[in-house]
Amino acid sequence: MAIQTILVINKSGGLVYQRDFIKTSAKLSSNEYLILAGTLQGVVAIASQVTPKALQISAKAGSKTANEPSQLIPYVGSLGAPTQNLSDMGSFMGQDFFNESFASWNQSGLKHVTTDQLSMFLYQTLTGLKFVAISTQSTTNAMAVSIAENLLRKAYCLYADYVMKNPFHDPDMPIKCELFDSHLAELVGQL
Amino acid sequence: MVDSGLASEVNEHQRLQLQFQLFQESLPKVDETVYRMLLNEAVPLAIGVERSLNHLEEDSTDQLETDLNSKLTFESQELGASHKLLQEYMTADQDQQIRINTRLENIGFQLGQKLSQLLIFSNNPNLSFKDMDLLSVMKFVCRDVWKQVFGKQIDNLKTNHRGTFYLLDYNYKPIESFTLEEDLSDQEQKMMEPFLHVPCGMIRGVLASLGFEKEDQVTCQATLVEAPDSKQAGASAFAKSVSFNVQVLVER
Amino acid sequence: MSANSANISASSAGSKKSLKTFSDDIWKNKTAKINAELFTLTYGSIVSQLCTDFERDFKKVNSHLSAMGYNIGVRLIEDFLARTALPRCDSFTQTSEVISKCAFKIFLNVTPQVGNWSSSKDTFSLFLDENPLSDFVELPMDAVKELWYSNILCGVLKGALEMVQMDCDVWFVSDVLRGDQNTEMRVKLNRIMKEEIPAGED
Repeated sequence: MAIQTILVINKSGGLVYQRDFIKTSAKLSSNEYLILAGTLQGVVAIASQVTPKALQISAKAGSKTANEPSQLIPYVGSLGAPTQNLSDMGSFMGQDFFNESFASWNQSGLKHVTTDQLSMFLYQTLTGLKFVAISTQSTTNAMAVSIAENLLRKAYCLYADYVMKNPFHDPDMPIKCELFDSHLAELVGQL
Repeated sequence: MVDSGLASEVNEHQRLQLQFQLFQESLPKVDETVYRMLLNEAVPLAIGVERSLNHLEEDSTDQLETDLNSKLTFESQELGASHKLLQEYMTADQDQQIRINTRLENIGFQLGQKLSQLLIFSNNPNLSFKDMDLLSVMKFVCRDVWKQVFGKQIDNLKTNHRGTFYLLDYNYKPIESFTLEEDLSDQEQKMMEPFLHVPCGMIRGVLASLGFEKEDQVTCQATLVEAPDSKQAGASAFAKSVSFNVQVLVER
Repeated sequence: MSANSANISASSAGSKKSLKTFSDDIWKNKTAKINAELFTLTYGSIVSQLCTDFERDFKKVNSHLSAMGYNIGVRLIEDFLARTALPRCDSFTQTSEVISKCAFKIFLNVTPQVGNWSSSKDTFSLFLDENPLSDFVELPMDAVKELWYSNILCGVLKGALEMVQMDCDVWFVSDVLRGDQNTEMRVKLNRIMKEEIPAGED
């Protein structure tokens, strides 16, 4: 799976980060990316609203009975794990940022879009940030989805580690952070 | 240490080192992230303090009624987000900037004073206080103080042996995650200023607690410099390092 | 309920872990650590400088400490969520457990006791038996009555909870530094900011 682009969208739907990892012929203008971000924000909301009522109720009932495997994203090991150097991990230590399966915060919103040429994956945090990955492969494979969720959670870890620690950073403004840039590139590169 | 053959001395040294390391590890700990945030957040705090002190001055010149009102609004109003406060530093006049920086130096100074006690009472085998001359005090700053606070040592220490020291840190931790362009604009240089006053105060504090305590005996200034290319290889994303220029007046 | 949240987040390969084991593991294996005494000293220097700046007007010191904490809290929450990926709490009781057993544990390596719930279950207390901010601290006489030495914690909690759409008030009611029996913080949930909860979370 080759990642073409990673986007970060803030809680009010503004695009705060966009980076291409593959030089593609069809490149969106920055304005088009802004529109994409805003559209995604809206579509996530709409997707959660069109969830059939019956499903919503059963999901609610289900979440009360402890483990619901469908909501757990399995941990995918050795995925861009920066194992070389502890200091490269910022404040996270150990072999990898995390090593257990985890629950998705986005239960009824849009998570995954596929066309014949590409797939788009979306990871939403509890604070309303969205991390979006666009891959050059068309896939509906469950494994690919978990890989993408793992990757995007790691991008979130990097965000927490490098962007949040810059006191100059304004959450409404584009992310300008070399270390976030370089670590994200490393993460995507190791895929 | 008793002079009893080189081999046993090395072993003894290693044993002490190990013991010290185990002791350090056994001490209570907190998360490093929290500490880094606390330290850096002191800067917006100092700017916020400056603002509210100015508010207070305005209040006292006003009449009693308005005084009461503005105080009430001040209590309820948020001081503002860190990044907004930091921008305020840029628009503050020079006197205010100086007061902000002095405030931060004082925080660093107090920390430095207490820190040297903390380090000295920890039985560090690398420390001997038999002949604590200026150079060994500076080495103590570079090695032990820096290691304790920033998790790394100063990379390079230069001196003219007449009281002038240059301490070079090629990757000064607290500003590690800041965005620094290759060509730092004057404005960006200016914005980094307050962050560098904390360690300057800290260096002075350590020196003061170790006998260099006369007023104006020690001055310390920090500037951002280009890291030498050779050292850059390890931290490619980071081109800026900090040089601390310490001047100590020594009587002779 | 807290066990439920821990199961969802931390069940790997069928093993069910409690929130405590989950947090212990993060603290032990995933956290870069720093000497707690250094932390205490640094915080002490900041508080004492504030007291000087405001000429011992401790009310102002309290509010500045809390404002400083708020600014830390709104950032620290991202670190917390990225590390733990804990699901949203379905009750305020669960929130209290996560704060004491998980947040305090992985950041300060202490676990305050939760208790003193209000009858409407919207207010609880955290009893800090250990407090790394104030180890070895003694308040000067004039500060004993008015200074809430660890007030930064109130700001941190308020800021962090606000980012996960919970509007709370947080304040100290007692502190051993002031000669009280124990150190008690109150956390009161004013409302859940439903309109701000990201879409997709039900």
